[in-house]
Amino acid sequence: MTAPRYCPACLSGLTSASSTLLRSTTTRTTTIPSAITHQIRTATQSQNALKYRRKDIPASQKKKKSRSTFLQPDLKNAIQFSLVDAMRYIRASEVGRPPTSSKYELHLRLRTAKNGAVVRNRLRLPHPVKTDLRICVIAPPDSAQAKAAIASGAVLVGEESVFTAVKEGRVEFDRCLCHTDSLVALQKANLGRVLGPRGLMPSVKTNTVVRDVGSAVREMAGASEYRERFGVVRMAIGQLGMGAEELQRNIRAFVDSVKRDMAGLSDQTAKDLHEVVLSSTNGPGLSLDGRFASEDGLGSKELGVA
Amino acid sequence: MVSLPQRMRKLQTKLLAIRLGSGALVLPHDVARIHMRFAAKINGGHRGPRDFWRHELVRLKYHNPTVPMTIDRTLAATDAAVMEVHFSAPRDSTSDTPPTATTTTSPATSPPPTRLHPLPLTHLTAPDILAALVALTKATPVEATPEERDELQMLEQHRVKSARDSKLSLEVRARQRREAELLEQARGDVATA
Repeated sequence: MTAPRYCPACLSGLTSASSTLLRSTTTRTTTIPSAITHQIRTATQSQNALKYRRKDIPASQKKKKSRSTFLQPDLKNAIQFSLVDAMRYIRASEVGRPPTSSKYELHLRLRTAKNGAVVRNRLRLPHPVKTDLRICVIAPPDSAQAKAAIASGAVLVGEESVFTAVKEGRVEFDRCLCHTDSLVALQKANLGRVLGPRGLMPSVKTNTVVRDVGSAVREMAGASEYRERFGVVRMAIGQLGMGAEELQRNIRAFVDSVKRDMAGLSDQTAKDLHEVVLSSTNGPGLSLDGRFASEDGLGSKELGVA
Repeated sequence: MVSLPQRMRKLQTKLLAIRLGSGALVLPHDVARIHMRFAAKINGGHRGPRDFWRHELVRLKYHNPTVPMTIDRTLAATDAAVMEVHFSAPRDSTSDTPPTATTTTSPATSPPPTRLHPLPLTHLTAPDILAALVALTKATPVEATPEERDELQMLEQHRVKSARDSKLSLEVRARQRREAELLEQARGDVATA
């Protein structure tokens, strides 16, 4: 009950008799307790403490550590499939769809630096996926080149007629080639506004300005383009109606081509293949483990038709 | 980037849903082909066939990969939706459902005789269509193995736990976001004042 009481400021002991609250209010002589005058705080900072003082860097100056390569997961815990098993699931997901409409697609995940060179090339698959490509050729009309282009299967050939059609907005083709003689006229015609955003503008860099138009058209018609985006190369690799052996041949050709491109890049850019994923227009993405068929799964004949 | 365990869980859910579920049946060997004809829009009783194609037919195709299963969605809404089941063996007398279409006789070198049985599908739901198909073909359902049952249970438990954790972390994040907003507001007031 009568616990000793202390003044909170100077921790000097008080008794109830000498409580300042109960002193007469007339004499208000407040004496500063002696303990306070001597209570000068000195921060005793040793050299050691200075050394280990926490440095609070303001948030604006803090450097966020960013990765220089794309994150690729460790595949030892991944569920992977042989080609035939993957095709069985994909064929089931695509049941009823037209066999030429749904496409298989392959995604190659690469271990690569984020800001390096990218893999970009064209490839003729053993079993082409899309065979109805409309190609436009800009060449002087009534020239041998124009005739060769038409013979190879170009859909739209000419110079002025093509320019007017494109300027009007009638872009009824999927690819565009230009003969070297017509390049000057092409630049003057200012078609970059229409064709540029669609990726159709012929240029020397994309190998779409050619001398031998006939063979270029033939090559383009059967070729599939691929390009690395954010560490992944994706390409359509087959139609739903294809069998397992055909798909395997296409996959081998594609992977070999990408490996050759990666090896052909400069030695500074180190790229290698991390994961191969097979998917389709309406199906799941299944990681492939390199086998054709598994022992207790189906054989390729038992896969049947789409 | 989604982590590998998350990706694998999502994949397993999808693959188990293809292997198991309603429509996971093994058809007898005499079923040669299944062809469905219905309209592109669901008006007029074509919802059931479309749902059957998207769910049950996927599982049927997985378990019977050699049977061609095709669909044709060019009918008009007023036409009757039909599923044609082609059988390769000649009709046996013990069958309950008699065939109603043509029976082709086979000379020695031609493919085995087929008979066609059309199933009307208009205004039927997907479960009804499945029941009719099972009654016609006498298909055997696929049972889940013990490993698959365990897998399903684990995935379900994970989904429940994930939902609970998601709710909790949503509250925490909402609180943090609110504090940040108030701080920004206070800073904004000081700046303008």
